[in-house]
Amino acid sequence: MDTEQKIKLVNRLVAGTAIFATMVAIILLLNYYQTSKLDPVESGVIGALVERLDQEPNNEALKLEIRQLDLLARKAYFTSAWQVRTGGFILLFAGILLGILLKILYDLKASIKEPDPEELDNQAARKNSTRWIWAIGGLVFIASLISAYITQDHLANYDDFKLAQLQAVESETASNEIEVVELGVGNEEPGIGNEDAGVGNEEPGIGSEEPGVGNRESGIGSEERDQGPGTTDHGPDPRALGPGSSQYPFFRGFMSNGVSFHKNIPVEWDGASGSNIIWKVAIPRHGYNSPIYWDNKLFLAGGDAEAREVFCYDRNTGEMLWQKLVTDVEGSPAKAPKVTSDTGLSAPTMATDGKKVFAIFGTGDIIAFDMNGNRVWARNLGVPDNHYGHSSSLICWDDKVIVLYDTNNGGKIMAVNVNDGKTMWQHKRNNRISWSSPVLAEIDDKMVILTTTDPLIAAHDLKTGEELWQVECLMGEVGASAAYGSGLVFGANEYARLVAIKPGAEPEIVWENDEYLPEVATPVESDGLLFIGTSYGVFACYNALTGEKFWEYEANQGFYASPIIADGKVYAIDMDGLMHIFALDKELKVIGVPKLGEKAVATPAFADGRIYIRGNNNLYCIGQK
Amino acid sequence: MKILMKIVLVICLMWIVMPVSGQSQARFPKPEFDTGYVQPDPSTPEPRALAMDYFDVFVLILVLSLATYFAIRRRSRGGILLLSVFTLIYFGFFRNGCICSIGAIQNVALTLFDPNYSISLVALLFFIIPLLFTLFFGRTFCAGACPLGAIQDLLIFKPISIPVWLRKGLGLIPFLYLGLAVLFAATGTDFIICRWDPYVGIFRMDARFIMIVLGVAMLLIGLFVARPYCRFLCPYGVLLNWTSRFSKYHMAITPSSCINCKLCETSCPFDAIDIPQEQAPASARQSDLKKFLVYLLIIPLLMGAGAFIGYKSHVFLSKAHSDVYLAELLIKHPEVKNDIDNLDVQAFLSAGETLDTLVKKAGVIRAKFKTGSWILGAFMGLVIGVSLLAQTTHRKNDDYRPDKGNCYSCGRCMDYCPVEK
Repeated sequence: MDTEQKIKLVNRLVAGTAIFATMVAIILLLNYYQTSKLDPVESGVIGALVERLDQEPNNEALKLEIRQLDLLARKAYFTSAWQVRTGGFILLFAGILLGILLKILYDLKASIKEPDPEELDNQAARKNSTRWIWAIGGLVFIASLISAYITQDHLANYDDFKLAQLQAVESETASNEIEVVELGVGNEEPGIGNEDAGVGNEEPGIGSEEPGVGNRESGIGSEERDQGPGTTDHGPDPRALGPGSSQYPFFRGFMSNGVSFHKNIPVEWDGASGSNIIWKVAIPRHGYNSPIYWDNKLFLAGGDAEAREVFCYDRNTGEMLWQKLVTDVEGSPAKAPKVTSDTGLSAPTMATDGKKVFAIFGTGDIIAFDMNGNRVWARNLGVPDNHYGHSSSLICWDDKVIVLYDTNNGGKIMAVNVNDGKTMWQHKRNNRISWSSPVLAEIDDKMVILTTTDPLIAAHDLKTGEELWQVECLMGEVGASAAYGSGLVFGANEYARLVAIKPGAEPEIVWENDEYLPEVATPVESDGLLFIGTSYGVFACYNALTGEKFWEYEANQGFYASPIIADGKVYAIDMDGLMHIFALDKELKVIGVPKLGEKAVATPAFADGRIYIRGNNNLYCIGQK
Repeated sequence: MKILMKIVLVICLMWIVMPVSGQSQARFPKPEFDTGYVQPDPSTPEPRALAMDYFDVFVLILVLSLATYFAIRRRSRGGILLLSVFTLIYFGFFRNGCICSIGAIQNVALTLFDPNYSISLVALLFFIIPLLFTLFFGRTFCAGACPLGAIQDLLIFKPISIPVWLRKGLGLIPFLYLGLAVLFAATGTDFIICRWDPYVGIFRMDARFIMIVLGVAMLLIGLFVARPYCRFLCPYGVLLNWTSRFSKYHMAITPSSCINCKLCETSCPFDAIDIPQEQAPASARQSDLKKFLVYLLIIPLLMGAGAFIGYKSHVFLSKAHSDVYLAELLIKHPEVKNDIDNLDVQAFLSAGETLDTLVKKAGVIRAKFKTGSWILGAFMGLVIGVSLLAQTTHRKNDDYRPDKGNCYSCGRCMDYCPVEK
C-alpha cells in the first residue's frame, strides 16, 4: 500500500469516526435533555396521587399505585442517566480514536518544513526577550502592589469591632431600662389597676372550688405576692398558688416546667370506643397549640391562611363558650406569610393570667381578650421571617406577657403589658432563629426566663429582660425549650447535645450527653430524674444530677408533644396519639399505653382527675366516667 | 480540514455536557414515603489498598525506564508515543490524574512547614523519582510518564512556533505558580495545583463547569501551541528544567555527529532545539559583559523590591485561607450570621466556636503569610534578575542540539536526522 492509498484509507476512517462521534453526541444531547425534563421527583401524576393519599391515608391500593409509579419513574430516570454516562465514554473513545487517526493523517501528509532562510538575529532576540522579561516581571510586581494597597485588613479592625459591639449592647440595655421606667410610670395610673381589680372580682369563688386556691386567697399568698418581683395588682401570682394549684395557665402548665400537681390522673382510656372519654368536640380551626385553662375556661387557638381564631370552652362540659376571630390588627399582613404545614400559623400555645387570655400567631399578631371574649388590645410585632412558622408559646407573669421572637432577621425577647400590649422591655438576641418557648424558673430567689436557641441557653431577668448569663452549647434548629429542676437548667436539641447547666453568674456545664436528643419535645425533670422524648420514638430517663442513663423505651412513633409529670407518673403522647405512661422511677415501668384514636402533637393539659388532649381534629377531655 | 475542526469542537462541547448529568444523578433524593426498604448505614469508603499505591510507584518507575530507553537507547518516537497513550489511560483516566508528581510538590511543601502533617511515602516517591531520572537522563518524565503531558502531546495538531521573546516573558509564570503553590500549601491554605489542574476534570469526567471549560480551552489552544501547560504553567516543570540542565545522558538529536543539514530545525513543536551560533563579535561581548555586571548588581535590588511587594501583599494573599476569609467576613458583615444560606458561616456557628478564637487562628495564619509572602516576593525578584542575566550571555554552538532545560525528550526531532549511527 503506497502513501496515497494509506491517506485515502485513513481519510475514510476519519470521516466514519467523525460521523459516529457526531451521532453519539447528538443522541447524548437528546438523552440529557430528556433526562432533565423527566424528573420523577417533580412528577405531576405522583404529586396528585400523594395529595389524594393525604385525604385517604388508609387506601392501600393507592399506596401501591404510587410506589409502582415512583419505581417506574426512577427506573426510567436511572436508565437514562446510565445511557448518558455510557454514551459519554463511547464518545470519549471515539474522540480519542479520531484524534489518533487525524494524527496519522497529518503525519502521512506531512513533509519536512524548510528552515527559515533568514538567520536568527540572536542579539535582537535577546534584546526583545529582556524587554519582555521586564514587562511581565513588572506587571506581576505592579499587580501585586495594587492588590496590596486596595486590600483592607479587617482583622486589624477587630478590636474596634468588639468595642462597637459592646457599645451597641450597652446602648441597647440602657434604652431597655428607660423603657421599663416609662412603662412602670404608666402602671401607676389608677384607672388600669382599678379596672383589673374589677375584672378579678367578677369571677369570685370559681377558684375556691379547687383545694389549692385557698392558699391563694389567704394572707400568706398575698404576702408572697408583695415580695415578688414586679408586684402589681394584675392578677394572681402563680407562685402564690402553691403546689396545689389548680390552674394550667400556659404551655406545660404551672411554672411552664412540665410538672403538674394534680391528682387522680387517669391511666386508661380509648378514644375509639369512648372509654373514659368524658367529652370530645371537633376543633373548628386547625392549629398545633396546646390547651390551657383557668378555672373552668379552657382555651385553644386555630389559624390558617384564611383566618386566625381563639376558642374558649367550658372545660367541664366541652361547650364552646365563645369563639373570636383575630381581625383588624394594625400592621397585620394582608396575606398570611408562607409557613410549612407541620408548623402552621397557630403553633404557639396561649397564656392567661386569669383575667385576660393572650394569643400569638404566625402573622406576628398578638391579641388579648378578657375571660368573656371581649377584645382588650391587639398589635402586630412585625411579620416573622420564619421558614417553618412562628411557634414560640407565650408566658404570662405579673403584668407582663413574655414573647420570644427569634426570626431569620434576628431575635428578641420582650415583655408586653397585659393591659395595653405596650412593650415594657425588649432585649435583642445575637443568635439564630429558634422555635422554642420561654420557660420560667425561680433561681436564687429571682424569677428568670430560660431560653434555648442556636447557639445558646440563656437566662433573662423577668423584670428587666437583662441577660443574666448564657452558655453556648446548642446548634441547629432548636425546637425544644429549656427545663429546670434539681437546681440545674437542662437544654437539648437534635444533632447537638443534651446539657445540664449549673446556673449562676458564671454558669458551668455539669454534664452533657448526646445519645438521645429531642427535636421538638421539651425535656422534663422531677425528683432527680430527667426525661427526653425524641422525634424518632425513643423515650429515655436520665439521672438529672449526673447524666447517667437509667432507662430507654422505644415507641413505634416519635414524640413532638412534651412529656408531663403528674401524679407520680410520666405522660408522653406520641404522634400516633398513644399516651405512654411510665412510673416516675429510675426503673422502667410502663403503666399503660392508652390510645387517643387520632394523631396528636400538642402537649396535654392536666387537671384533677382530668387530661385535656388536643388531637389533630378534636379536643378530648379524659377522666374516670 | 475545517469540517474536522468543527467535529473536534462538537466533541469538546460534549465533554462539557456529560459531567452535568453525573452531578444531577448524585444528588437524587430518596423516596418520600415509607417503602420498608432499610437504608444502609452510610460509611466511609475503604481507602485504596497501600499495595496498589506502591504498584503505582512501580508503574511510574517502569514507564520512566521505558521512556528513557525509547528516548536514549532505542531512539524511537513510536515507542514514546505508545507509552504516552498508556500513561494517559493509566495515570490519567484510570487513576483519575491522582497521584501525580506535579501535585506532590504541595505535599512536600506542607510536610516541610507543618509538623502535624506527614507526607505519604508514595507521594514523596512520586515527587523524587522523576527528578532523579531527569538529573541523569533529561525530562523523559515529560515525554512519556506524565498524564498531563501525554494528553497535550497527543493533541498537538498544527503547532506554531512561539517567538523567543514571548517564551522568555511567559516563562516567568511557572515560577510564580510554583511559589504560590508552595506558599499556599505551606500555610495549609489550599492545594492550588490540584484545584486548578485543567485536565483533571477531563480525566475524571466530572468537575466544576469552569474547570471543564478551562480544560477544553487548554486542549484547543494545545492544538496549535504545543503543550501550553507544560511550557507556561507547570510548576514541576521548573524543577525538572533545573535538574535536566545537569543531565549527562540527555537524548541527542543525532546519534553521532551533527552534519548541520538543518532538517531538524523546525521539527520541535516546543522550540527546544538550540541552533548553531557563531561566536559573538568582540564589541558585543564587551557590551554583554557590562550588562551582565549591571544585572548582577540589580538582582539584590530586584529581590529587595520583590520582598517589599510580597510583604505588602500578604494581607491580600492570606484571604485565600478559609479561616481568614471567614473571620474578616464576620467582622466586616456581622449581619451575615443571620444568613442561613451562607454555609461557611452557618458551619462555623454550628461548631460552637467563638469569633475570638477564629480571629486568633486567622492571626496566626496571617503571620505565616507575612513571612511566606516576602520570601515569595524575593524569589520572584531573583527569578526576574536571573532571567535578565541569562539574556546577557551568548554561547558559541556548532551543532543542532536539544535545549536540555526545555526539551521534553519526546523524540520527534530524532526522526528527522538522516545520520546513521
